Amino acid sequence: MATPTLDAFQVIADPSRRQILYLLTKDSYNISNLAENFEMSRPAVSKHIGILETAGFITIKSIGRERFCTLNQDGFTELRNWIDHFDEFWNIKLKNLDTILKGKKNSN
Amino acid sequence: MKTEIKHQWIYEQSPYEVWKYLTQSELIALWLMPNNFEAVVGHEFEFRTNPIPSLELSGIFYCKVLEIVPFKKLTYSWKGGPVYGITTLDTIVEWTLEEQGNGTILNLKHSGFKGENYDILMGMTDGWLKNIQKMLDHIN
Repeated sequence: MATPTLDAFQVIADPSRRQILYLLTKDSYNISNLAENFEMSRPAVSKHIGILETAGFITIKSIGRERFCTLNQDGFTELRNWIDHFDEFWNIKLKNLDTILKGKKNSN
Repeated sequence: MKTEIKHQWIYEQSPYEVWKYLTQSELIALWLMPNNFEAVVGHEFEFRTNPIPSLELSGIFYCKVLEIVPFKKLTYSWKGGPVYGITTLDTIVEWTLEEQGNGTILNLKHSGFKGENYDILMGMTDGWLKNIQKMLDHIN
């Protein structure tokens, strides 16, 4: 079954897909466990999972015969890179300030 | 997920002294970056550094003074992007100063970091919870 490519907003416009993401914020699930939370057929749940995976919201890992879904961290990588960068940036700058204030005091 | 940065430093100098290094352009440049800051609410200014290719940032940060409480608090917006006119980083920098003995506790909060999917997901969760609430209200 071909997985349609949707933009992020179309992806989460669907209530079932929102519920899948919501469940995955609490825990990781295999596809059967996820499907148990819905009244639709397992293939229908699989299709939604395919759409979420294509859009980068979730990743699917095969462990033995089970396929586990987790929230995909890639979508959050940019955020983490920025935070890491500026965290270190401020650390260096505040140290600079300390050095400068101390230097000033010593020269007085 | 962490969406803000907090730092706390203690300096031996008084809040009056530290404040000067937060609010006088040439003193800020000594430890932070070249800038055209003025301690006036609403003043728009820029910090300039080298481009940061890994974050797709041009190295120019566009800022606006939002709040000034002399010797106690200073807040400005902190925006950046790959080129002029495109904002991918839209954040707030907040400084607070507390007197401690002869010195100063300086707190920095850099907040408002957002990732595309993170935003959507959080917006979604909020919306979802509101819908549940609406449903419960309706049932009751």
